[in-house]
Amino acid sequence: MLKYLLFEGGLYKHERILEFLEDVGGFLVQKTVVGLDLIMNLAVPEEEHERLSAIVSELKGKLTPAPLIGTEIGVVAPTLSRHHLPHPACDIAENLRRHGAKTNIIGLSRGVGQKIVHTTIKEKELIEEHDIAVFTLGNFEKCLLKKIKLFSEIEVPVIVTGGPVMKGIPGAEAYVGGIGRYPERARTGESIEKLREVSRVAGEVVEQRRREMDLDPLIVDPIVVKAEIERQVPESTEALSPNPVTLKIDGVRVKLPYDDYKDKIGNISIGGKKLSEFAVIKRSLMRNYILVKVLPKSMF
Amino acid sequence: MEKIRIFVDSSDELGGQQYKYIAEKSVEDLGLSGSIDSIDMLIRVEEPLFVIVIRYKEVTGKSTLGDASYIDSRKNGIRITLSSEIYLGDALKALWSKYGRDRVEQIGRLEIFVSGADPEEVKGIRLSEKGYDLESRINELATRIIPEGFRVRSSTKNKGMITIIASEDPIKEDWRALARRLEGDAHA
Repeated sequence: MLKYLLFEGGLYKHERILEFLEDVGGFLVQKTVVGLDLIMNLAVPEEEHERLSAIVSELKGKLTPAPLIGTEIGVVAPTLSRHHLPHPACDIAENLRRHGAKTNIIGLSRGVGQKIVHTTIKEKELIEEHDIAVFTLGNFEKCLLKKIKLFSEIEVPVIVTGGPVMKGIPGAEAYVGGIGRYPERARTGESIEKLREVSRVAGEVVEQRRREMDLDPLIVDPIVVKAEIERQVPESTEALSPNPVTLKIDGVRVKLPYDDYKDKIGNISIGGKKLSEFAVIKRSLMRNYILVKVLPKSMF
Repeated sequence: MEKIRIFVDSSDELGGQQYKYIAEKSVEDLGLSGSIDSIDMLIRVEEPLFVIVIRYKEVTGKSTLGDASYIDSRKNGIRITLSSEIYLGDALKALWSKYGRDRVEQIGRLEIFVSGADPEEVKGIRLSEKGYDLESRINELATRIIPEGFRVRSSTKNKGMITIIASEDPIKEDWRALARRLEGDAHA
């Protein structure tokens, strides 16, 4: 199993890490250069972790486990109004990104009220395109319990955040209390700690999902699919969207128009087979992008 | 500046406290701290009912810079001393568009210096098309505080006070009585 790590350090001699990854069959998921600083999201085989740590400590860098790398998380706010955005939804999304996740913010059309609250079929499908969904709800316990129907039918794991301190909420994998509706940026240590808790809980949920998937592994690891798409369809790396080939737990999202590129993506050859033979390629509800879902071994 | 009195009566204590914080920050965001006396909220989540009473200082809108400030000539220009901070944004905007940013300098919380301007001309500058519209900003404040799901609303306005009853159901008579009692408390 691959282990996902976040490298923070300098540009100097970082090629050594890339060479090491190549040698042991690891991957570079994302590379961000800020001045002379470098942040890299890496994936290495679990057994090579220690050797990588040795190289990183020689380069005086920092290596932290980041299970959220390679995940796409939907942060769902009840609506797109001033009441729910930008705080706390954007704060939570930002913290998730700091831990390696790729986030998208979704505003529901009717996520408010105790009676009218519901998720439409299209919204449900859009949320299910993500690996996990984080719902940011409000401050009242009674209201929260009436909003369970927002996420009870969603098939991907759901984390709910809200004001009241509760142990859990029915219909969701996890609940993080103490982050309800608030009107300013999270600046205090206490509130930032809460954001970190959301990321930590999300990490646990993702690891749990990866462990479950290990019982029936995918035919090809999505990270290989990502690397091959980038190699065989160079346009994918030139798309202007952030993270043009986004890695997900069970596939990738390619940010190219579906109608023009679906065949090109489907014809990519990996290990002598076409991608379309072992993956479902469909149109994403998000801007006509291409969603690739790799099938598990048990399907063959 | 006087501190705004914010009172919350909520059936959900923790949520109520959070709404006090939301009210404080929304007032700050809208730059209304000088204009508001008190905010009273009554929250009954189980009904669901949200009543908000905002008491504010009524100001008659000043339409020109001459009305809203004291202007004196200096060596190289004029110094404008505004009578209230609420005109600052509009005054700067109007002066910038007439004289350009290079010639307009804010030298204090209420003072602006304009180099090479004529006092009589400055006196006639209009602050904004509509004058200062406090009421619409108070309404905006109430809308920002009231939870979005409470869409059935009934509002009443008295001199210097606005009351909004919000719910998801048609407004009941006894809720109006509760709101009137809250208005009475707001007077105290």
